[in-house]
Amino acid sequence: MIAEILFPEVCGLYGDAYNGNYLAMACPEAEFHFTPLTETPYFSDHPVDLICIGTMAEDTQRRVLDKLRPLKGRLEALIDAGVPILATGNAAELFAKRIDYVTEEKTAEGLGFFDVTVKTDLFRRFNGKVLGDLDGMTVVGFKSQFSFLYGDNSDSYFLKCVRGVGLNPESKLEGLRKKNLICTQLLGPLLVLNPEFTEYFLGLAGVQARLPYREDAMAAFRQRVKEFQDPKIQFGHNR
Amino acid sequence: MKKLRFYLALWAAKTVMAAMRLLGRNASYLPGKLAVKLCPDFLAHLRPPKTVIAVTGTNGKTTVSNLLTSLLRGCGYTVTNNALGSNIQGGVAAALLADASLAGKVKTDVAVLEVDERSSLLVYQDLKPDYLVCTNLMRDSIKRNAHTGFIRFLLDKAIPAETKLILNADDLICAGLAPQCQDRTYFGVSAEAPATGASLEGLDLVYCPNCGGNLEAEYLRYDHIGRLRCRNCGLSSPAPDLRITAIDRAAGTVTLAQAGGEQTYRLLNDNIVNIYNLCCAVAVLTRLGLSPERIAAGLGAVEIVKSRYDHVETGGLKITMQSAKGQNPGACARSFRYVADQPGERKAVFLLIDDKGDSQGSSENPCWLYDCDFSPLADPSIGQLVFSGPRCLDQKLRAEIAGVPGERIALWPSFRGGGHLLDTEGCRDIYILYDVYLEKEALEVKKALMEKEAGK
Repeated sequence: MIAEILFPEVCGLYGDAYNGNYLAMACPEAEFHFTPLTETPYFSDHPVDLICIGTMAEDTQRRVLDKLRPLKGRLEALIDAGVPILATGNAAELFAKRIDYVTEEKTAEGLGFFDVTVKTDLFRRFNGKVLGDLDGMTVVGFKSQFSFLYGDNSDSYFLKCVRGVGLNPESKLEGLRKKNLICTQLLGPLLVLNPEFTEYFLGLAGVQARLPYREDAMAAFRQRVKEFQDPKIQFGHNR
Repeated sequence: MKKLRFYLALWAAKTVMAAMRLLGRNASYLPGKLAVKLCPDFLAHLRPPKTVIAVTGTNGKTTVSNLLTSLLRGCGYTVTNNALGSNIQGGVAAALLADASLAGKVKTDVAVLEVDERSSLLVYQDLKPDYLVCTNLMRDSIKRNAHTGFIRFLLDKAIPAETKLILNADDLICAGLAPQCQDRTYFGVSAEAPATGASLEGLDLVYCPNCGGNLEAEYLRYDHIGRLRCRNCGLSSPAPDLRITAIDRAAGTVTLAQAGGEQTYRLLNDNIVNIYNLCCAVAVLTRLGLSPERIAAGLGAVEIVKSRYDHVETGGLKITMQSAKGQNPGACARSFRYVADQPGERKAVFLLIDDKGDSQGSSENPCWLYDCDFSPLADPSIGQLVFSGPRCLDQKLRAEIAGVPGERIALWPSFRGGGHLLDTEGCRDIYILYDVYLEKEALEVKKALMEKEAGK
């Protein structure tokens, strides 16, 4: 497998860096490219089997968009070919039509793979949890964000929210999905927190791997699922 | 009408404060919160002391505030401060109204106010500090502080242009704070510069905040604290106006250079973080016009707050207590590094860093553990680790991914107890690393260990 982790030096906030790191630990035979923002992405002119990108600061998000916009055609070809791509946290927003930064009074054109827009308000931070269902598989995760997405993802969502919010507080459908492109506002080391989903995601790239410390990862996962199913646990609030 | 509302709020808050104190409560937040609720621009109507110093920054603001307060009081000034209370708007209001007359005049000479970065807009819109001190800006709570760019954005927006800044020259994020402020003093440490060639990868500052170009580090002390320069636009860490040029650990002194000469000061704590805090406090007092001799004399009589660090020995068992500040990846990583760097081959770590608040009615987000460098805990000198609290399974997994052998780790899923899991026969140097809100539970573990040792 050839995998590319995009811009890990700036797109790894909140532990997102460990999605790529965990995959690299799980697949020691694979070829991993950790591409900094100052270099041309490896996928632009090489075949890849998997791509990850994680959470970043808002000004970095605009720089990343500037970097990726010229590669939109190549990304589209990879998506159409079924290459698994995981965008976590606000990296998910890159694939929307447009991002409106209301506090900074700026707008950025997104990659436009989904008919949704993003509203980013630095004076409203939302913290939440999601207990999600992916075709019968449980996925758990956390949100800490300034943004919500708006638009119809009823035929292009990642998870059905059993608890927690989806694209925005009125939505119960979390994230965006197009073939194997998975965009989710769940952030942090999502793959470490969800070993079963990690195996599923690697499976999309045709890889079967024994995850590092799988038993301990599963024990932590089961504990979290149990907590998230507890009706006494709060699921979201603004700060 | 506005004034009437202010006076009603002031008198109501003072009455509540008096009642709370009669009941033995410290009244360091609630009366202030009430005052602001009754009169939202309460702080704007108070007549503050002649000098108001705001102390902010990710790490060190409590230490610097306490140090400034002690030193100023030692020099004969009367000081208002919020050391016993909260550092958000209500806490600031409570501290000021406690020292205010019934007419709203704060009767002290100076206010030293620790201000949470997130509260900057609310506080500074009504209370314009004469001086604002920023110790550093680093990654902090995911939920509240997001990332350093966001905190910079808030502070840049909040700090009044006429405020005089005292900033860490060795923190390029902090050094560029509030460009609207012309009066800027920088402090730094040039003594014991580390080796060159450090990488900025994974830190809060990777690219130039000015042009986005590649930064290079002349050296880094910890995180992004060090001397940096942009290869593209030439932006670099500013030259400090006051800097520590020598650290003499044996003599317990530091030498600080500034325009006009050098002065030797007492070294309160030889941890580099606290050396920066010391330098910061001296910079503030110098700006206030205190002579180096007067500052040096004052430093002879103060101590770093003991609750953040304590060490006892009983029957050959050494127990070190150190605050590790949960959800603050840098502060935790530094405490892990501290343990690994200490001499000794028979160390054990008792970790108590969960968020106590999140344990009630929530499930703590463990993502910050992956922003925190756990690799020092894999040091072979650390024979055992006990992870306690509801998130102990997450911590074990994180530690294993960082290279800590799983067989060294014991788990105790509660905030209370767990000390019995420590192998005090095999490991004679015990480090209890705890979140500031879990001090009581950490002290219980320490007490149990001491009693067990005494009962042998």
